Amino acid sequence: MTTVSIRNLHKYFGDLHVLRGVNLDVEKADVQVIIGPSGSGKSTLLRCTNLLIQPDDGQILLEGVQVNRPGIRPEWVREQIGMVFQQFNLFTHLTAVQNVMLGLVRVKKLDKKAARDKAKFDLDRVGLGDKLHAYPAQLSGGQQQRVAIARALAMDPKVMLFDEPTSALDPEFIHEVLDVMTRLAEEGMTMMVVTHEMGFAKGVADSVVFVDQGLIIEQGTPEEVFDRPGHERTKAFVGKILR
Amino acid sequence: MNETEAEGAADVERPPFLKRVFTRESIARWGVGIAAVVAVFGILYFLGTRQLYNLDFAIYLIHPVEDGLAVTMKLVAVVIPLGFALGFLLGWGRTTRSMLFRGLGAIYVDFFRSMPPIVLIFFSYLLSALAVRQLTGSPFIARDVSLWMAAIALAFHSGSYQAEIVRAGILSVPTGQLEAADSIGMGRLRSMFSVVLPQAFRVSLPALGNEFSSVIKDTSLLSLVGWLDLAQTGIVQARGVVGTMSVFVVWIEVAIMYFALTYVVTRIVRVVENNYKVPGLEAAEL
Repeated sequence: MTTVSIRNLHKYFGDLHVLRGVNLDVEKADVQVIIGPSGSGKSTLLRCTNLLIQPDDGQILLEGVQVNRPGIRPEWVREQIGMVFQQFNLFTHLTAVQNVMLGLVRVKKLDKKAARDKAKFDLDRVGLGDKLHAYPAQLSGGQQQRVAIARALAMDPKVMLFDEPTSALDPEFIHEVLDVMTRLAEEGMTMMVVTHEMGFAKGVADSVVFVDQGLIIEQGTPEEVFDRPGHERTKAFVGKILR
Repeated sequence: MNETEAEGAADVERPPFLKRVFTRESIARWGVGIAAVVAVFGILYFLGTRQLYNLDFAIYLIHPVEDGLAVTMKLVAVVIPLGFALGFLLGWGRTTRSMLFRGLGAIYVDFFRSMPPIVLIFFSYLLSALAVRQLTGSPFIARDVSLWMAAIALAFHSGSYQAEIVRAGILSVPTGQLEAADSIGMGRLRSMFSVVLPQAFRVSLPALGNEFSSVIKDTSLLSLVGWLDLAQTGIVQARGVVGTMSVFVVWIEVAIMYFALTYVVTRIVRVVENNYKVPGLEAAEL
């Protein structure tokens, strides 16, 4: 089953045509890695997928239902799509467990006790069962990002979006975040990941797309895109990041 | 971020409210404030027993000063909550995308911040006196209403400063916080109350405390339209006494009351501030 379908997606920022007709299908339990140079529209593509940014044209389908149309509340869509940000964006005034609980209590309307139990369970899943009451400022970057993953995970999303989840991390913390993501992938989570971590892409991705200037230039298995890229631009980009 | 601290961060639940709020520092400051008031009264009493001024007059004076304090407290109890409500709503309004709320907030701030409070007080007093007298025909009702309208004018003035303080607090919260709230499906109003405002308040509270303490003393301006508050009590009593020392005694007692009132209010703000403190976030802790 196709979890996310993106059809002919367009987005303008003023005169800038950021997405110029993107088409992409992500199957259930697949890991879709998105690569591309800075400014190519990767982040915008993710943000359009959960309607953090309203697309100007085209369709977003979540399990076959078009979600970017009047009559569907964007909040309802975002509730079903988890997102992990480059800068973690943990709520700074809340502890780890409160960060995870907030959406459960305020959006899913769970009672406090059930929300706390679910939050503890998900923090355990990312290996932070011993940091429940730490504030974000007391955690390392890697720990913060894992709390952010638990926060998204707790909402039981149909798909999770990762926007360069390791780019803001010190090298020593990258692996702990990638490990959690790898485990999620193995457990069958559907994921769309913007990343330049080639090890992760090669080992975990089911499919890789190369985005440049608002278009998907190339799509294929990790081997096809990284080892035998068909396009000159893909070749040049892959050459740069693999060096 | 401090990695060594991260390693050492103990996983303990936040201490209970009272423990969080009554830190050693805050207890010490309550102590210093009370000691200061007691000391000034003590010195005053000592000088009185040495016949430097008329001690009986100083003791008699306590009654009218208490009455004045009660009036000032009544004014503060109206001006601070009303000023805060106005500042909060209009300051918030200026950060929304609504042109109406932004415009309203901007006009409000630009006008009330540019007027001396005394002008606002007289205008409000005179206009409402005129209007109520036209409507009811009773000069007594007109007097009561216009006295309160003068106080409300002061609240509007204070609110214009608070609006800017609240706006600054909201602007200090990075967009990423709102994006994160959006991403878990929270609506705009929910995100505002659960995510943005708690963080904005943390930043705004010291400046709000400043404005509160400032407006407490500005209520003395209301004595000019006839409120028999602390300041007016000072004026009335000082006019009736003989000898320079006694005039000093009057104003020292008035000053102690203003100090005590301001001190208590700023301490209360500090309690709220301590409650919003986030471990590991403040640079001052390093």
